[in-house]
Amino acid sequence: MQVKKPWWQSGGVRIALALVLLILFGGAVSGIYLSQIPPEQPIAFPHKTHVALGAQCTYCHPAAAWGPNAGLPGISKCWGCHQQVQKKSPELEKLAGYVQRNEPIPWVPVAIQPDFVKFNHQPHVQAGIACETCHGPVSQMTVALPQPRQNMGWCLDCHQRMRPNDFVRLSDCATCHY
Amino acid sequence: MAEERPAKWGLVVDLDRCTGCNACIAACSMENNVPFVGEDEVAYGRALYWIRTQRYWEGEYPAVTPTFQPVMCQQCGNAPCEPVCPVYASVHSEEEQINLAVYNRCVGTRYCANNCPYFARVFNWFDYELPEPMRSYLNPDVTVRRRGVMEKCTFCVQRIVRGRQKARAEGRELRDGEIQPACVQACPAEALVFGDLSDPESRVSQLARSQRRYHLLEELGTLPRVTYLKGVGNHGG
Ligand code: HEC
Ligand code: HEC
Ligand code: HEC
Ligand code: HEC
Ligand code: HEC
Repeated sequence: MQVKKPWWQSGGVRIALALVLLILFGGAVSGIYLSQIPPEQPIAFPHKTHVALGAQCTYCHPAAAWGPNAGLPGISKCWGCHQQVQKKSPELEKLAGYVQRNEPIPWVPVAIQPDFVKFNHQPHVQAGIACETCHGPVSQMTVALPQPRQNMGWCLDCHQRMRPNDFVRLSDCATCHY
Repeated sequence: MAEERPAKWGLVVDLDRCTGCNACIAACSMENNVPFVGEDEVAYGRALYWIRTQRYWEGEYPAVTPTFQPVMCQQCGNAPCEPVCPVYASVHSEEEQINLAVYNRCVGTRYCANNCPYFARVFNWFDYELPEPMRSYLNPDVTVRRRGVMEKCTFCVQRIVRGRQKARAEGRELRDGEIQPACVQACPAEALVFGDLSDPESRVSQLARSQRRYHLLEELGTLPRVTYLKGVGNHGG
């Protein structure tokens, strides 16, 4: 004798339910992937304040002009100004602490590619690409935010757009992976 | 900006000068983060070297003399390793005219190594952990390979790319001999010479035209970029 199945056991409902769950899960994953959750930094360094003061990006990240890594400023560069800056705050207490102990500040990387990607700032800066093109509106940021979707397609898209005649060199695996 | 000319990198190995000292192998391993696998693994045939010296004995005992032949990836123009890779990890670099092993693309089928007539490719059978202070010796310009990835001599492509980028930044052409792979730099006998074969005046091109030249397994038609100069016993050996 055929027993009538309750509605939630019918195939159609189950498939529909599975689809809804899958879509919700996929949305959550891509939401996490695309969100810009900044990592916890030892000192909440505000780019906004400092860029508004007129400090150039290359004053604190000078090596972008000549090397592969832009570099982060050391405590002596911070202290050069903050010795004079009168303002006191918990964040600046932490800075004073590092300076007193003569310790480097253990900044957590934000803009970072995997180990197997060999990026070089110098050709990009020389080609006149603004830092903000790749790092987002840093001058508005209170803490450095990671930029989403900076994958291989992003690099190659720009290379093809800006240097179509050099694309053989700029799409060669050995340019970025070795 | 200086006019760009695609380079065709080549290496000349003068067997008259090679003393079999293995300095090239040590330099290569340090430059390219090639792990040391230990005696047991070597006994299983899992040695990791990008260069090996093949030693031959000539003559009858007791009048025997050894000859040495360093063998690395021959960077074939017509490479047997390339068409067999199912994931395009073994690709030909149009820019540098060498064979690449794109480590992050490799899934470890080992077809390429099996198809290489020179046995130039080696496989990472395990993750080889380095004890703590040794990690500081790693070259940051070279990816540390994981378990299950094929690797081989790259002509120190990191040095080629850096050298080219440096020359471009300074708006000049590369000088002959400016770029040297680690093995060439380390060779005390100057048995290894590296340079641009597309420039007929470069030192490597001049040597590659020598009458003593030959290629390994030339009959296979692999068009290697490494030229050997036959030892004729003038300088020892
Ligand atoms: C060009 C000089 C200069 C340099 C270099 C500099 N600062 Fe500042 N910094 C200032 C000034 C001025 C202020 C703003 C003080 C105010 O709001 O009145 C400031 C504000 C700050 C604040 C916010 C304080 C608060 O709680 O409002 C922090 C944190 C800080 N700086 C950290 C650093 C660190 C870390 C470095 C080194 C990487 C550094 N600064 C380098 C000039 C400088
Ligand atoms: C006063 C010095 C100073 C100036 C000026 C400055 N920066 Fe920074 N920057 C820092 C410090 C310190 C950090 C590390 C703290 C952090 O990541 O929040 C940093 C981090 C960054 C990072 C993240 C790097 C990482 O750790 O991965 C980027 C990207 C960046 N800066 C871009 C810029 C750009 C673009 C400008 C110009 C608009 C600029 N910076 C101006 C001091 C400075
Ligand atoms: C073409 C895109 C691009 C441009 C333009 C660019 N960057 Fe970067 N930047 C990157 C990428 C990609 C990384 C991650 C590199 C890595 O992890 O190897 C990075 C990393 C950084 C870092 C952190 C790590 C390091 O290199 O020390 C800083 C700081 C930084 N950039 C600052 C700057 C500044 C300042 C400028 C402008 C002068 C600039 N960048 C221009 C793409 C760019
Ligand atoms: C906004 C555009 C842009 C983006 C994004 C970009 N690039 Fe570039 N890149 C360029 C341009 C333009 C050049 C050519 C500079 C020249 O011709 O000298 C270049 C050159 C390079 C070079 C030097 C090539 C050589 O001569 O050896 C490398 C390496 C490189 N890019 C890597 C990357 C990587 C890795 C990424 C992604 C993380 C990336 N680029 C993202 C525009 C971009
Ligand atoms: C312009 C620079 C550039 C070039 C040229 C380039 N790549 Fe990439 N590649 C990248 C970047 C950046 C990433 C990291 C993407 C990410 O973080 O999601 C990447 C990631 C990858 C990955 C994914 C690895 C993983 O584990 O996620 C593979 C595979 C890969 N590349 C293969 C290649 C091959 C094969 C070529 C040559 C045909 C090539 N790439 C050329 C920049 C480049």
